[in-house]
Order: sequence, then structure tokens, then C-alpha cells
Amino acid sequence: MKLGEVFRFEIEHRLRHASTWIYGGMFFLIPFALLHAIDGGANRINSPENLAAATTILGMFGMLVSAALFGDAATRDIESGMHSLFYTAPISKSAYLGGRFLGALAVNAVILLGGPLGLLAGSLMPYMDPRMFGPFELFAYVQPYFLFVLPNLVFTAAILFTIATLSRQTIPTYLGAIGLFIGYLLATEVYDRAATAGTLVDPFGILAAQELTRYWTVVERNTLSIGLPAIVLWNRLLWLSVTAGVLVLLHVRFRFAHPGAAGRWKRRRLIPPPEPEQYLPIAAPSAARTFGFATRARQTLAIARYSLREILKSRVFLIIVAGALFLVFAYGWDIGAIVFGTSTWPVTHLVAATALTLPMSVIFAILVALYAGELVWRERDVRISEIASAAPVPDAVSLLGRFLALVGMIVVLQGVMMVGGMVLQALKGYYDFEPGLYVRILFGVKLADYILLAVLAMTIHVIVDQKYLGHLVVVLFQLFAAFAGSLGIRHNLLVYGSDPGWIYSDMNGFGPFMTPFIWFKLYWAGWALLLTVVANLFWMRGSERGARRRIALARARFGVGVARVAGVAAIIIVTLGCFIFYNTNILNGYDSPFEAGVPRAEYERRYKQYENAPQPQLIGSKLHVEIYPKKPAVDLRGTYRLRNSTTTAIDSVHVIIYPGIEARSITFDRAVEQVVDDDRLHYSIYALDQPLQPGDSLRLSFDLSYQSRGFPNSGISTSVVSNGAYFDRRWLPTIGYQPSFELTDDDTRREHGLAPRPRVSSFDDDQALQFRSAIRDADLVDIDAVVGTDEDQIAVTTGTLVREWRENGRRYFHYKTDAPLSSGMPFLSAEYEVREDRWKDVGLRIFHHRTHTFNLDRMMRSMKASLDYYTTHFGPYQFRQLRIVEFPRYASFARAHPHTIAYSEGSSFLSRITEGDVDRPFFVTAHETAHQWWGGQVAGARVQGAALLTETLAQYSSMMVMEKTFGPEQVRRFYDYEMDLYLNGRRVFVNREVPLLKVEGQSYLYYHKGAVAMYTLRDHIGEERVNTALRHYLAKYRSAGPPYPTSLDLYAELRSVTPDSLQSLLRDLFEEITLWDVKIERASTQRTDSGAYRVTLEIKASKLRADSIGVETEVPMNDLVEIGVFAGAESERGPGEPLYLQRHRIRSGQQTIIVTVAREPARAGIDPYMKLIERETDDKVVPVEMVPRASPPPG
Amino acid sequence: MHLEIRDVSKTYPNGVRALRNVSLTIPRGMYGLLGPNGAGKSTLMRTIATLQEPDSGSIHLGELDVLRQKDEVRKTLGYLPQEFGVYPRISAERLLDHFAVLEGFTDRRVRRDVVDALLRQTNLWNVRKEKLGGYSGGMRQRFGVAIALLGNPTLIIVDEPTAGLDPAERVRFLNLLSELGENSIVILSTHIVEDVSELCTRMAIIDDGEIVLEAEPLRAMEELHGRIWRRLVPRDELPAVEREHAVISTKLLAGRTFVHVYSETSPGTAFEPVEPDLKDVYFSAMGGHHGRRVARPVTETGP
Repeated sequence: MKLGEVFRFEIEHRLRHASTWIYGGMFFLIPFALLHAIDGGANRINSPENLAAATTILGMFGMLVSAALFGDAATRDIESGMHSLFYTAPISKSAYLGGRFLGALAVNAVILLGGPLGLLAGSLMPYMDPRMFGPFELFAYVQPYFLFVLPNLVFTAAILFTIATLSRQTIPTYLGAIGLFIGYLLATEVYDRAATAGTLVDPFGILAAQELTRYWTVVERNTLSIGLPAIVLWNRLLWLSVTAGVLVLLHVRFRFAHPGAAGRWKRRRLIPPPEPEQYLPIAAPSAARTFGFATRARQTLAIARYSLREILKSRVFLIIVAGALFLVFAYGWDIGAIVFGTSTWPVTHLVAATALTLPMSVIFAILVALYAGELVWRERDVRISEIASAAPVPDAVSLLGRFLALVGMIVVLQGVMMVGGMVLQALKGYYDFEPGLYVRILFGVKLADYILLAVLAMTIHVIVDQKYLGHLVVVLFQLFAAFAGSLGIRHNLLVYGSDPGWIYSDMNGFGPFMTPFIWFKLYWAGWALLLTVVANLFWMRGSERGARRRIALARARFGVGVARVAGVAAIIIVTLGCFIFYNTNILNGYDSPFEAGVPRAEYERRYKQYENAPQPQLIGSKLHVEIYPKKPAVDLRGTYRLRNSTTTAIDSVHVIIYPGIEARSITFDRAVEQVVDDDRLHYSIYALDQPLQPGDSLRLSFDLSYQSRGFPNSGISTSVVSNGAYFDRRWLPTIGYQPSFELTDDDTRREHGLAPRPRVSSFDDDQALQFRSAIRDADLVDIDAVVGTDEDQIAVTTGTLVREWRENGRRYFHYKTDAPLSSGMPFLSAEYEVREDRWKDVGLRIFHHRTHTFNLDRMMRSMKASLDYYTTHFGPYQFRQLRIVEFPRYASFARAHPHTIAYSEGSSFLSRITEGDVDRPFFVTAHETAHQWWGGQVAGARVQGAALLTETLAQYSSMMVMEKTFGPEQVRRFYDYEMDLYLNGRRVFVNREVPLLKVEGQSYLYYHKGAVAMYTLRDHIGEERVNTALRHYLAKYRSAGPPYPTSLDLYAELRSVTPDSLQSLLRDLFEEITLWDVKIERASTQRTDSGAYRVTLEIKASKLRADSIGVETEVPMNDLVEIGVFAGAESERGPGEPLYLQRHRIRSGQQTIIVTVAREPARAGIDPYMKLIERETDDKVVPVEMVPRASPPPG
Repeated sequence: MHLEIRDVSKTYPNGVRALRNVSLTIPRGMYGLLGPNGAGKSTLMRTIATLQEPDSGSIHLGELDVLRQKDEVRKTLGYLPQEFGVYPRISAERLLDHFAVLEGFTDRRVRRDVVDALLRQTNLWNVRKEKLGGYSGGMRQRFGVAIALLGNPTLIIVDEPTAGLDPAERVRFLNLLSELGENSIVILSTHIVEDVSELCTRMAIIDDGEIVLEAEPLRAMEELHGRIWRRLVPRDELPAVEREHAVISTKLLAGRTFVHVYSETSPGTAFEPVEPDLKDVYFSAMGGHHGRRVARPVTETGP
């Protein structure tokens, strides 16, 4: 009865507050708006998975609203002083707390209903493109709300309400919300190590859903719902019981007592009553007071110091610091663990710019919002504001002092972060702390961001003038800034605080990013100044509230001084805004995504007609390249020798210059006439006075230059930087129309009025079979290049170094190829150190950054082992040298050029290999070295399946080198990672899946499925047979073409070495998309008379074929699958010591297999090492049940 | 130097007319502002203390325009609001020191002296190191006075300062105020008549946003001389008496009622004349028998 009344009263209270309605509106509008911003591609917007994700994530942000609602429900009575009346009323604890809790809960539950409703309303809007939606399923909207959002709400609400009730404060309540968020992050860490445990400890149940849909393909994700699976229900049950426990705790701990009066350790110190002494006569000491600028400055600092002390001394702040450190350690412990579970050395820029920054950005956003609110509200909260307002202190001083306190808090936190980062590094055994870099990242670039945020948060709190709403507005703004790009607001001049981004590199520091960063931040500092003026005008002083009054007051405050500051701010904004606009839009054409596609569409429309016009081929190039890393600029001069390799006379030459490169001159060694000069599309056509006869050649000389001009809005060019230039052939002129420059994405093509085109030509496209590189103007080229660079740098390009000299304060390198090469021409320049070694008569070199020495030995070892294996099994190495050249981490790939591997510092120079890890530097080096054969010696035509001939073979080759060097154990681990990456790729990549033989651009197929398929084949038919096939393929096609080989030619070789019994496996792996599903249902054993053990395995098997979008059909299975029986302990490496391991022919359906082993078995199963392509992994092995021997019949 | 309030009016957004054409001239010395709860006292105090804007009217402190030169006024202002809190976790000394900086005492040594002197004067010296959260009501009130006195204010505004003080605290507090009144304008707003009668040289009575009387307490009592009559009335006769006479106050005493009646001539033999005190002045003014309301038709009787 009474509970009902408290409940109703709470709801009425909430309904009277505008904030309730604002929260509700926002939770409806955000998902509604979100639907307009998404373009899911093949993934349907209203797929059950998307709806669940959107609803649940929105629910997580809802914690901020919950913190406000439940914080208010719990502390309102104390704050208003009403508690004495409530506490003395004849009402039970459960009625009082229960009513409050349930009332707030009901309101909050309705607010969160906005999520599914907003999504529903958005998807029903008539103007939505129906192609982006799947069929309407009501259950998909309802289920996430009841399965995730509502239980999560009950749980978070119980926690937050308990914290608020027992602490009687706001900040701990918000910290509770942050703590829950951190709990989720930690659960993801657990999840990465042990999936089932992780799904259980995640308080929000998100990971459970993620685990269930882990290997779902697009079709499954579009149509299937996770339903009500056990793992989710267990998770929900677990956390609801925690909730109940928390509420019981609250009930026990709560007292109807005056705050501060109760509690063991908070007992009030008794104050000695002042002696009733005589009052001294009032002769207030007359002392000098001053009110000049110096006083104002001191007052500002005094307020700052005072407010900062208030923050720092509170226990809450200690908790924040501890929590932040905890998070940083949890997140930073495995920093950079990207692939194969390999970790990375915690170099300072990774720790400072990633570990200390990424997880903290959300927390800083909330903390700044929170403390800005506290600082704005503190005096009013303790009710001393009237006294303070009457003090002779200008508003600006009060505001500025508090703002400085907020900045001070951020600085203190960053200091703590810095110490924490160094401790983390030391604990990981890395001692090169680079304190200067910490300071530049934490107290430079990041502080600039946080200060801008602090100004905004203070201003919002001053203007909104409602604490809880203020918090929410600040956080919402942050969200807006984060997602502005997907809402179509891309220009950094339009989103407060934004910049073109930056990447720190050990090689190149902040490189080209710092200058634009500073200009943008100064521009935003102008806005911040303007915000400060606004905050100053609306600063709450005295007791006037209400918008009209405050505006009148602001008008009255707008004096000359204020106008002057506003003027300065406006001048900064306008001048810097113009300057930046000049840089981003005039010097570097700013293009919306659509505009960016215009020239390419235009290029295709105008010049596609020349696609098959006969063009001469590049057979030799003599280059002189001057790199000026500090400017940055490049001069590219040279002469091409072009030969007519066709059978008809050529009457014109088409020349394309890469965008961003300026052509000073293009000249021919004979009379030509320029008939097309398309400046915008950089396309020129030169008509030859005398046609070039078949077999004849001509010379084309060019003088090009690259010069970086100003800075763009995004995508700052990193090709030529002060230390670590890397650019390639594309910067040189290209001959003839190139289909690879066309727009590829179907949607983009449609927007520009172009018909969709096949992503890749098919096997039977005769024209395509003539080419094997993306740029169709060359096959084998002689290169003679002189490259000049700064005196302290080394420049590298294709060819053998013939001469090196210094001239005019610059350093020159002359490279020359021994024989014509296919593709290539990378140009790299940096201050390298060189590690040298030899393998037989091949010189090995690693050009690396001074400090990147961690893995040089592994790379060197890998080059040797690779050369050993490949020359033994495939064929001779075609060069006298092999080198690795490092480039900055602006891209993270490694790429093989002829005898030169360009290798990003972010790839594996910093990998840290511990016992048992997959040796990533070794693997990457072996893979790239393999490309000297696969891709270097033989490459397929640019049709479907081409990547199988390069990447898949390189994966296989490197696996074999690893197997030879480290043993099969490491390759097994590698295989497992590849399997996971393939199955995950099916989920993540929305472009359709194809069989391996027809692979197009899907990296998850040609790398990961390719590795799985090749290694499975090797497992079945043996290393020698596979290598024989590869050797034959290489020998047959090394100097063949055009037309060039395709994956079918390799496949023919593989088929010829595969016995008939395994041809179907070959077909499953290469020609089809095949998924197996085998599991063991029961295993039992019985001792035989001879003392051996007879093990009976009941297994079930099926085989599925999937089509390109993941629709599956079952096919009869008749394949060889391993059956294993094990003894001993299970380990990370496998199910134990194998007593029996043989392939059995397994058919679809239930079957029983009986094997006999000598010792007592512990476990038995099918496909125990998970070699088949399967999605379920935990139904392969079961413990063996012991069945007592039937007792002999009584005789 | 005096405080000049002219035609100040203020209506709150919810329609409450807190001040209606208030005009007062307040000289140096203690000035009492008397009125029932909700009469507009605090609004007037806050407006004088630069914390609120009137809809119309002007306020001048000597040469200073209080509504426009707020920062100048604040330098000479000491304000003790009706209700205020303190930061519970810090000591009186520390918080007073902080306010001293805000009041412009930037020199550390001078500030130290000022803070020490004020802590002694307000008799908080012994507890200056204690956390403010543990202070009693009286100590906190004195601490408020210490803040208000920072910087030798020439205008001191104290809003309902004696509410919640025990009798001894109250006496000490009022003594402190009256000493201040020797050099400054001290405006004391209160609904307790005794506070004014004991201290103030001048006073005003405010009701429903209007000044109903502005006078010197002594002279006001003199003016009422011979017009206040008293009678003990049995309870059942009270309605009749109230109908026939201008009853300004009643007081229950042992089952019977003491009635004070305003009358320029003797209201009858049952009544005896009394020497008017400030309460009688207050109730007469509130009841419209005396002061500015007399001209208006009486719409309501006093309490």
C-alpha cells in the first residue's frame, strides 16, 4: 500500500520534470536518426543482429540517464532537506526504497523503450530505400529489449541506486556507471582468452550474443535471430541474482538516519564549545585591498587552486585514478596483439597514444562533463553561492578559476597516466621510456583536445543550468563529434575540436600531421574563446533564473571588454578559418565522397573507348629521381623506351599522369602532335607523325614534379615525409588507358551513372588474360635509376646498387637491374641503419630504423630458411640479393617488390615473440620472400583466382618454412588462427564468398582459407606431392605468356598429384564452399580379455555446401576424417597424448566406430585437432565412459 | 553616505508581486526591516546585495548605482543571506582565507592579519582549525558574519540572522551587529520584532511587497501613545469584540484572551490603556491603522 504510494509519487515527480521528457525524446530520436545514417551494404539494416546491437548499445548509453534518474531518486530527500520528514514517517525501509527504486525503474524502462520504437519508426518511413531492409519481424524488435535491455537496466539500476543511496552523492553514482562500462571492457578481455567465461562475466550479455553469431554469414545475420539460447539465459540469470544480492545489501545497510550521524568511521568529532569570552571591539583591521589586474590574476589562481584541491582531496577522485590506472593496465597489457596472438613491445608511442588514450577517451569525456558540472554547481550545492556571489570578484574570474581547476584535474590525471604507462613498460621489461614523447602526446596533443572539451563542457553546463541534463548534453555532443562523419558532416571546420588526425611513427615523429593539427586546434581555440565569452555572459550569479531574465542579464553584462574579447575570438575564427579553408579546399581540393568519384567516372566515360587501342609497351626506363624529404618534394625525370609489341602499327601514344603529380614536360624522340590535352583528368594523347611499326621502339622523356602544398582536410599525404619516403611506379607516367583506375564499387558507379562492372575478369576473358599487372603498360622492364636524397638518408629502389656518391650536400645512389624485371619500382628514402648478412651468394640486407632492432635476427633467419626451402623445393632464386626496407607505420603492410621487401614499421618490427608464439616477423618475411617466386617468377593473369597464385602459395610456402624451422606444433597454431580468420571473414566481409579457385578481392579467402586448404592438402597427400605440383607449375609457366596462367592451371597440377580417393577433397577445398559438421556424441570403453581397451565412438557427421551469400545445402559426406583416442591431461595444445590417431572414412549421419587401444583412454573424439572447416569447436572430444565388463556367465 | 531605494518593483515569473514601488532611504546605523514571512524582505535584501534584478526602480549607495556598478558595490558590501551552507570538509580558517582573497586581500601577510582578527572578533578563534561541517548553527552564523565583515564593508546586509540561535547566541550576535552600525549602514531583516526594538535606530515594515511604515522605533511608539488599549476577554465574547473594535492582536492566557485594540479614543470602560511597544506599532501598521496603509480601505485585519 505504502509502497504503491511512494511508487506513484516517484513517477509523478519524474513526469513533472522536463528532463524526463527530454531523455525520452532523445532515446527515440537517436536511433531514428541513426537509421538514416547507416548504409549496411549487403547487410540488412533491420536484421535481427543489427536491431539487437543498436538496442543494446543504446541501453548502455542509457546508463548515463539511469545514473541521473536513480541518483536523483536516492539523494533528492537529503539534498532538499526533506529526509527528516520522510525518515520519521511510519514507513518501512522496503516501502520507501522499493517505491523509489521501482518508480524510477518504471520511468527508465519506458524511456529505453524509445530504442526499439525509434528503430521501428525509422524503418517504417516511406522514403527509406526498401533494398536496404529485410522482411519485417516484430520479434526482432521486441526480443533485444526484453532479453538484454530490460535485465541490464534492472541490474545497472540496482547498482547505481545502491551506490547513490549509501553514498548520498552524485559523483559516485556516475562512477558506478563508468565502473560497469569498465566491467564490460574487462569481460571482453576475458572473452578473448576464454570465451565461455567471458560471456558469463559480461554484465550486459553482449558477448554472449557475439559468441553465438561468431561465424554467421551475411544471410544468417540477416535472417536468423539468436532466439533465447541457454548461454544468454544463464548470463541473465547470473546477473539478475547479483542484482538481487545488491538490493538485499542495500536493504541491510540502509538506515533511516541523518547523514553523517551514522556510520562507524564517520563519527563526528566533538568540537569544544568556544569559551564565552568577551567580544573584542569591532575594529576590523583596515588593510590595503587592491583590485587591479594582479589581484584578478591572483584571485583566479586562488579559485583554481581551491577548486582543484576540493576535487583532488575527495575520495572519489582517488577511486577515479585507481580505476583509470586499472583500465589502462588491463587494456595496455597486451597492447598491439593483433594477429596470431603475438604481442608487441610496449614502445612509448603505443603506450601513450593507444593504451593511455583510446580507453580513456570515453572516460575523459564523462569525467570532464561530470567535473565541469560539479565546478559550475558546487557553490550552489553547498548553498554558499549567495555569499560568494556578493564578493567583489568579476564573473570572468570565477569562471576562469574553475576552468583552470578542470584543466588542472586533467593535467593531474594525465600525469598519473604517464607514470602508469612507464610502470606498465617497466613491468613488461621495456625501459626506453622516452619521457619527452609522453609529454608531447599526453600534455601536448591530447591535452589540447581535452582543454577544448573542458571549455565546451563548462559552457554547456553554464547555459543548460541543470546538472544532470548538462552531463547528458556534453556526452551527446561527444557522440555527435564521433559520428559526424557518418552523418555526412566531414569537414573538420564544422565539428568542434576536430582535426585531420595524426599518427606517430618512431621513424618520422608526428611528421606531416603536426602543422595541420596546430592550425586546426588554434582555430578551435578561437571558438573556445567565444564559448568562454558566452559562458561568462550567462554565468549564474545570484538568484535569477529563467531564460528571459538570463538573456536580459547577459545583455547587460555585454560591455566593452566582453565585446573586445569576442572580437578577438571572431578575428581568430575568421582568419584561421579562411587560412584553413584555403589549404583544405583551394590548395588541396576538398571533395565530398561523391565529388571525389567524379574525375574517375569522367575518365571512364571519355577514354574507355581507347581501352583496347594498341599501345607500345614499356621495356626500359632510365630515371633520375630527386627526393627532397624535408620540403617535401620530388623531381622525377627520365626516359621510357617503348616498343610496339603488337602486330599492327601504332599511330598514337596515350599518357596518364597520376593525380597530384605535375608534368613539366613530356617529349618524344620524334615528331608528334598532342591531340588530347586533358588537364583535369591528366590524360594526353600524342599522335605520331610516322606510325610505330611492330617491333620498333621510341623514346618518351618526361620531367615531373611532386610538391606538397598546404594541408588537406583529411588523408594527409605520407608518401614523402622527412624520414621515411615511400612511393612507387604510379608516380611515373602510365601508357594507355588503365581499367584499374576506374571506379569499382557498384553503388558508387550507380551514383555516377555507370553500369556495374565485374570486379574481376573471368577465366575466359581473352583480353584480360594478356595482362598480369594492374598497370597494363609493361611486362618486363630494364631499370636504370639514379636516386638523390638528403645527405643523411639512404635511398633504395629496384636494381643492384652500382655506385653511391655525395654531391652538393646530397647523396646519390645509382641502381641498375641485371635483367628485365616485372613490376616494381618502389622508391624509399630514410635515415636507415643496415644489417647485412649472406645466404650462399645472395647478399641479405635489412634497412631499418635505428631503434627497431628487436626482430632483425628473426627476419634474417627467415630469409635464409626461406631461400633454403624455396630453392630446394621450387626452383632457383633469380637475384643476387634480397633486402628488407622499413617504412613508417602510416600503412601496416609488407609488400614484395623484386628482391626488395617494403616492410612497415607497424608490421612486425616491434613484435615481441615469447616462447610458443607464432613467430610473426619470421612468418611475414618468409611470406614476402615466397613472393619472389609466386608473383615474382610466375604470376597469373589478372582474372579471378589470380590471388591464389600469389598470396595462397606464399602462405603455403611460409607455413612449410615454419614447419621446417619450428616444427609442426607452431604451424598447427598458425593453422588454427588462419581457420578462425577465414570463418570470421565470412562474417565480417559482406562481399560475396566464392570458391577459392575463383577468388576475387577477398583477402579472407586467398590468405586464410588458402592457407587452410593448402595445408589440409599437404596433410593428406604429403609435402613432396604438393611441392612437385608447384615445381611443375613454376617450370611450365615461368616464362610463358601472354596469355598468362590462371588458377585453373595450378589446379590441374594439383589434381595430377592427388590420388583418386582424395579428388573429392580437392574439389571441396578449391571448387566449392564446403563446411563440415562432425561431432562425437558419446565414447565408451570396455576392457578386452587381452587387457587392451576397446573404445566405441558414436559420432554424427554432415557436410554442407554454401553459396555466395551463405545459403547452405547439405550434400552427402564420404570423407576421410581423423579419429583419435587420448590419454593423459588435456592441454592448450591438444586433447592429450594420442593412443590412436587414424583417418576413417566418415559418411553423413550417425555412425559408430570401434577402435582398440593398448592403454586406458581418457578422451576420444573425431577431428580432434579441428582440421576440417567447421564452425562448432567444442563438440569434437568427449571423456570416455568406462563400461564394466559383462561378468562371465556362472558356470 | 546613505542607501537610496526608489520605486523598486519586482514580479516573479509565477506572478507573485514580491516588491511594489518600494522606496526607502537608509542612513548609517542599524536599520530594521520588519515583516511577516513572504513579505518580500529577502527579495529586497538580495536586490540590494546585487544578486537580483528589479523590474523597475533604482538603488543608489552614495554615488554608486547598485544595479549597474555591481562590482563596485560588492567591494563595499557585506552580505549574510538568510540561509547558507558551507563546504563541510574544510576549516573555517581556510575558507575565510579563500574569501579574503576574493575580497581583494592579495598580500599574504595582510590577509593573515585580517583573517586572524575576524576569527577573534567573531569568537571562532578556538575552533578555527575545525571542519565547518561540525559547526553549530550559531558558530556557522558567526562565521557568515566574519565573511560579511571582510574588507570593512560600508553596507552590511543581514537577512534573518537570529533565526535558529539560542538566546545567548542571539544577544552576542546582536551586540556584534550594533557595534558595526556605528560605522556602516547595517540592514537587518527579520520577522522578530524584538530584534528591531532592541537595536535599530530606524526601521521599515514591509508587507505583501509594500512598505507599510517607515519610522524610528522610539518615535513610532510615541506616536501610538494613548491609542492602544487592552482587555481580557472570555473566549465566547471574542467575536463580538473583534466585530466592534479594531483588534490588532490577541494573546491566549489561561483560557482567556488578551486583546490589544487600536483606538484614538477610549473604546470603553472595559479597556485599559497600555504603553505601546514595537509589537503594537507593527500590528497597527500591518492592520492598516497606522502608517502608509491608513489611507487605503482596510481589506484585512491583522493576525
